Amino acid sequence: MSLLNAHSIEIDSALTLSQAEVGCEFQIKALSSQVCQQLREIGFCEEMRIRKISNGRNLICTLCGTRLALSKKLAEHITVAPLN
Amino acid sequence: MSVSDETLPRVALVGFPNVGKTTLFNALTGSNQKIGNFTGVTVSKVTGSFYTPHGQKMELIDLPGTYSLSPKSDDELVTSQTLIGTQENESKPDLILCVTDAKSLERQLHLVHQIIDTKIPVVLVLNMVDEAEKSGVRFAPDILSDELGIPVVPCQANSKKGLTELKQSIRLPFPHCSKNIISEINSLQDLENKEAEEKRLSRAKMIGKESIRRETNGNMKWNDRIDAVALHPFFGWVLLASIMFGIFWSIFKYAGYPMDWIEGLFGLLSDKVTQLMPAGVLRDLIIDGMIGGVGGVVVFLPQILILFFFIALLEGSGYLSRAAFLMDRVMGTAKLSGKSFLPMLSGYACAIPGIMATRSIPSAKERLATMMVLPWTSCSARLPVYLLLVPLLLSNLNHQTWVMFGIYALGTITALIAARLLRSRFGEDDTVPFMLELPPYRWPDLSFVWRHVAEKGMAFLKKAGTLILGISILLWALESFPKVPEESEMSQHEYSLLGRAGNFIEPVVKPLGWDGRIGTAVLASFAAREVFNSSMSVSYAVEDEEDSETLRNRLQAAKWPDGRPVFTLASILSLLVFYIYALQCLPTTAVVKGETKSWKLALGQLFGMSFFAYIAAFLTFQIVSLL
Repeated sequence: MSLLNAHSIEIDSALTLSQAEVGCEFQIKALSSQVCQQLREIGFCEEMRIRKISNGRNLICTLCGTRLALSKKLAEHITVAPLN
Repeated sequence: MSVSDETLPRVALVGFPNVGKTTLFNALTGSNQKIGNFTGVTVSKVTGSFYTPHGQKMELIDLPGTYSLSPKSDDELVTSQTLIGTQENESKPDLILCVTDAKSLERQLHLVHQIIDTKIPVVLVLNMVDEAEKSGVRFAPDILSDELGIPVVPCQANSKKGLTELKQSIRLPFPHCSKNIISEINSLQDLENKEAEEKRLSRAKMIGKESIRRETNGNMKWNDRIDAVALHPFFGWVLLASIMFGIFWSIFKYAGYPMDWIEGLFGLLSDKVTQLMPAGVLRDLIIDGMIGGVGGVVVFLPQILILFFFIALLEGSGYLSRAAFLMDRVMGTAKLSGKSFLPMLSGYACAIPGIMATRSIPSAKERLATMMVLPWTSCSARLPVYLLLVPLLLSNLNHQTWVMFGIYALGTITALIAARLLRSRFGEDDTVPFMLELPPYRWPDLSFVWRHVAEKGMAFLKKAGTLILGISILLWALESFPKVPEESEMSQHEYSLLGRAGNFIEPVVKPLGWDGRIGTAVLASFAAREVFNSSMSVSYAVEDEEDSETLRNRLQAAKWPDGRPVFTLASILSLLVFYIYALQCLPTTAVVKGETKSWKLALGQLFGMSFFAYIAAFLTFQIVSLL
């Protein structure tokens, strides 16, 4: 598979954390917008593994063994890709 | 606590919130500063001292937790200003102990980098290593130390493991980081802020990958099961309500025996004084003024201890953050966030630490609104008044518990409505999206819980033995003098200065269903709310020749001149409503002034809440009387 194809597949499979399925593990691909600066400061960075625990107005996820509650709005700015 | 000696080397504890900085501070200095398993427990700087194994005394500074050195809230500002050296009358620390939670070290490496960049010598403390290893995290401290260019010390502060090694690493002269790291720091200074941040982040990622191995993404199975209930949109609320109900129920259920013992002890003391002293003014002063006045308050010590015991358990368990998560939606209706809930929860113990805890709220307008309404969350000083009055309404334990539940709910709901009104008035600001760490559940440190409860109990007894004793003596004197002449048909109360003062203010308080005696007791309780009990105790004891009945029986027997009972459903409810809403705490006003830097706001809150309390009590009495 060419590099170009692999990149296209990755883009296709990317979704926001608020869209992601509960109970699955993902890799953080991108943090968009200025509000995400605060996420970076609390250790939310690209390439990290994240597991989504629940949905809702505030969703819950685990990251590096830490459980975090995030507003759905904020989760819409986090792009993730499923991990096999 | 303050140990400030300018000649001592200064060591500062810095790190993310809730990584165990205060636990380490207590372990090193032997202090008993408040700890808890949620973010934002420490909101101001605390200092202490300790000795290294080499006999060198050092000053230790516990700073509020921060996620970065670019502060978002007032508590974070204290930390960054201390490290940058812009805090007033304060130099930079000589050494930083950068405390991290070993379970999630990768997340904290960015802050570690920012701290190293301050060029102050740093020792990295990997706290909670035992917990980290149990959850499948493996470290290579040597690689970490080489990559960061600073000493790395693993420890478990709550069990004092690794403290000797940590103290040994704190030796003069403090080590600066390695030369290659210094050159890296210097290269960052030439870059734009954003570019420097990106470099720090990518370096943090690289070091994390090299020095930390994580078998799973955290072993959260045990926590998962509890959270499935605690955070459930329906069962979570059932659990929260059950916990609150359980606390109030326990307060009524288990305080009975110790209360009887305390009452018995004060009765015994009165009997001894009666036997040993001849009748006269001095004996009356000791029995009615001192023993009666203080006893009327101290008898509620068991309830205070039970309340603080449960609060300490909740704080240590990690549940409070779950409660804040659930409350976020409710707080949202008041235009507040879940972050405002934790300070409001502290307000149930005492408004002052609650107001201080608002420093962790990033939005200035939200912080101000929270501060202004926070005294409506019923603090523990109101508890003796509630506990005196609620059993006058109902005798059934479950019913009493529901009334207590209602009292706390009424205060909280009114606070939220007022917060919404204030937020609308203050206008919009940059809303910070909700983001909250949910710490793992832990068994609370029982030794800390007991020490904390004992400390609160001692503070309560100290207040009873000083302020309340002094006011009781004053009230007794006002109630006992001038002495009623034998030929007079007036009672001692009517003839006394307090009785006359009561008559004077009675027209103002009568629409609330209170007589002059209650009016003066309420007025006196502006010094301290508990004085209401002392005042009623002294006031009724002076006229009671037998001294045999309990205060509650005396209140039930109190009559208006036309023979109607004073303490009716309407008048008791009106009193309860007044105590829910009145801000009778001058130290709170002083703290609000300190935090807002505005006498206008602080005094506005004091008089506004008291006026609101008067109107609410008036409406309660008038409406309930009509039913």
